[in-house]
Amino acid sequence: MKRIAALLVATLCLATGIYAQAKVTLKMGDNLPDRTSTWGAVVEQINTEFKAANPGTEIVTESYPDQPYQQKIKIYATAKQLPDVFKYWSFTSLLKPLVDGKFVVPLNMADFKKYGYIPGALESNVYGGKLYGIPVSADMWVVYYNKKLFADAGVTKLPTTIDELKALAPAFTAKGIIPMVTDGKDAWPLSITFDQLAWRISGDQTLPQKALDRKIKFTDPVFVQAAKELQDLTTKAGLFQDDLMVSDYGASRNLFGQGKAAMYLMGSWELGLGSDANFSDEFRANVDAFKFPILKNGKGKTDDLFAWYGGNYVVSASSKSKDLGVKYLQFYAQRFPTLAWASQACFPAQKVEPRSSDTPVAKSLLKIAADAKATSGTACLDLSTPQFKDDNQNAIRELCSGLITPEDFCQKLDASAEKASKQK
Amino acid sequence: MNRLFGNRTAIAFLVLPGVAIMVFALIVPIGFSFYFSLTDWAGFGAFNPVGAANYKEILTADPVFWRSLVNALILMAVTIFIQNPVAFALAALLAHISQKASQIFRSIFFVPAVLSVVVITKLWVNIFNPTYGILNKLLRLAGLKSLAVSWLSNPHTALGSVIWIIIWQGFGWALLFYYTGLMTVPKEIEEAAVVDGASWPQTYTRIILPYMFPVISSVIVIDVISSLKQMEMIYLSTDGGPGQLTQFIAVYLYQKAFVASQYGYGNALSILFVVVAVGITVLVQRLFRSEGEIQ
Repeated sequence: MKRIAALLVATLCLATGIYAQAKVTLKMGDNLPDRTSTWGAVVEQINTEFKAANPGTEIVTESYPDQPYQQKIKIYATAKQLPDVFKYWSFTSLLKPLVDGKFVVPLNMADFKKYGYIPGALESNVYGGKLYGIPVSADMWVVYYNKKLFADAGVTKLPTTIDELKALAPAFTAKGIIPMVTDGKDAWPLSITFDQLAWRISGDQTLPQKALDRKIKFTDPVFVQAAKELQDLTTKAGLFQDDLMVSDYGASRNLFGQGKAAMYLMGSWELGLGSDANFSDEFRANVDAFKFPILKNGKGKTDDLFAWYGGNYVVSASSKSKDLGVKYLQFYAQRFPTLAWASQACFPAQKVEPRSSDTPVAKSLLKIAADAKATSGTACLDLSTPQFKDDNQNAIRELCSGLITPEDFCQKLDASAEKASKQK
Repeated sequence: MNRLFGNRTAIAFLVLPGVAIMVFALIVPIGFSFYFSLTDWAGFGAFNPVGAANYKEILTADPVFWRSLVNALILMAVTIFIQNPVAFALAALLAHISQKASQIFRSIFFVPAVLSVVVITKLWVNIFNPTYGILNKLLRLAGLKSLAVSWLSNPHTALGSVIWIIIWQGFGWALLFYYTGLMTVPKEIEEAAVVDGASWPQTYTRIILPYMFPVISSVIVIDVISSLKQMEMIYLSTDGGPGQLTQFIAVYLYQKAFVASQYGYGNALSILFVVVAVGITVLVQRLFRSEGEIQ
């Protein structure tokens, strides 16, 4: 009888132990569909380590390319089915509606300060005095280039002015090389470039914010000139790919990575181009970056750096595993800078040490960051309401397709800013 | 059985499942959509009632809505007046060649109709690509360099290119409908017409076309509905661009609701979409009904 009782107790203990280790599934979402290289591989590594450190935890990730992912998150928010932990963006146009709707949980700032974030990085995720997300990367607007294609086209000097940049186009075109590519379909890279040009013209990075605050107007000459420059670059200079306005992120990135284009206008999160196994060794050895050129008669300086903290990670307020989600963010904050920098996947929003083994593009980006005398903060399309962002992108699409004049573009932008200011 | 159908309660009981499905799948969603169309809801968070403000803005201050409608009408016109006559003529030709040859050609023409929209769109996006697309390569080889443009992003060619893709895919269906219809035309009628001395144009215009009227009207109604609800092809190719030149209502309302976070506005667009679609469909059906009565 005693034996039977002991057996029963032992079985009960075992069952309880199994129950204690019942699996918890953490649903995650991000915009990194490639899980085998660069940033996606880093996240997979972090997930593997987190699961090992937290037995019984399963992580199920849903990944889509950038823009479809943003749309998916909005649909999930509408359906109240947000993932437990998900990558998002700290911008007013994206995170603020989720904060206002109480869709994401506030985090304890003190828990994350110890992870070596660059000053201002955590603060970019603060709304109403509370931290809602952890930043992941420091973003800079730069021009990537392929050194071999430059040599093939006989180009020996990097362009430092917009005129010099435009003058390069015939040399590349004559060799059957696309001079420059970017993602025109999604329009936001062109919106950032518009802000960058306005800064290069005026030497004042605060103008877009002032226009949104209705202290000045988007119809002021500086914005009209920036719009003219952008329209010229995209429709007349013969600089970008012919199908710029229907080329999405992946298509334009692949044109550059496959050696079809000499330059790629994009953010520093593409640091991983120098180590992306999807592209050839020759490409990886030749990819580098330079600063966005200045305008000859502009007041902006070469070292005025368009930089911001965009991507972040947040925890859903409707998650049944909120504590585990926050624990994941802490683990992520601890491991991401080391792993991301070791694999040269991206520029973390945390301090990293330069190494002799860094890729040439990583060294150049570090130098661009170190040279910066002033930084911009978030681009104006993300500083206001979601509707302003949509209007901004639609107007940019029309401007860069040559469908409207720079003056009409500025009128549209100003009308939208006026509407947004009344909605705030 | 007669007693069963004479019992009103039994009839109501039998009809109830169908009515319930209709109510939950159609009436309730439209009702919800109408409710949200009267708000400024972003899709999440709090919202305020705004009355008919969304409708007023769409109808009086939204050129994209009207552009979407015009694009649907252009597509409708191209489908009805170009695709249909060509499909009918080809079906007539196939009806008069050997069964074996006809079968081979019908299979070839029907291939695009069985392929997925994603495959078809990606195929044509690649063909139209100005950098590596085969169309521009062929044009350059033929010495027509000036015609090698960026088909989907050039404001002059974008809508035409998108309509071409849609027509290309839908052609097989129209052909199949017409071929099947032509096969049902009794041979005796045609033979009698020939005996009476009718030429083949007379046979077609006076006998076969009127006989085929129900098939033609069905194909046109399907074309009208399909033109209005274009979504996937546009979303996957141009996403409404360049600018909003290739925009269609279904894509536009999706963008408003889930990209621009104007869920209320998107719902107002969807309600207007329903009204326009039902209106045009009823109009076309009435037109065909009165035409059929005359015939």
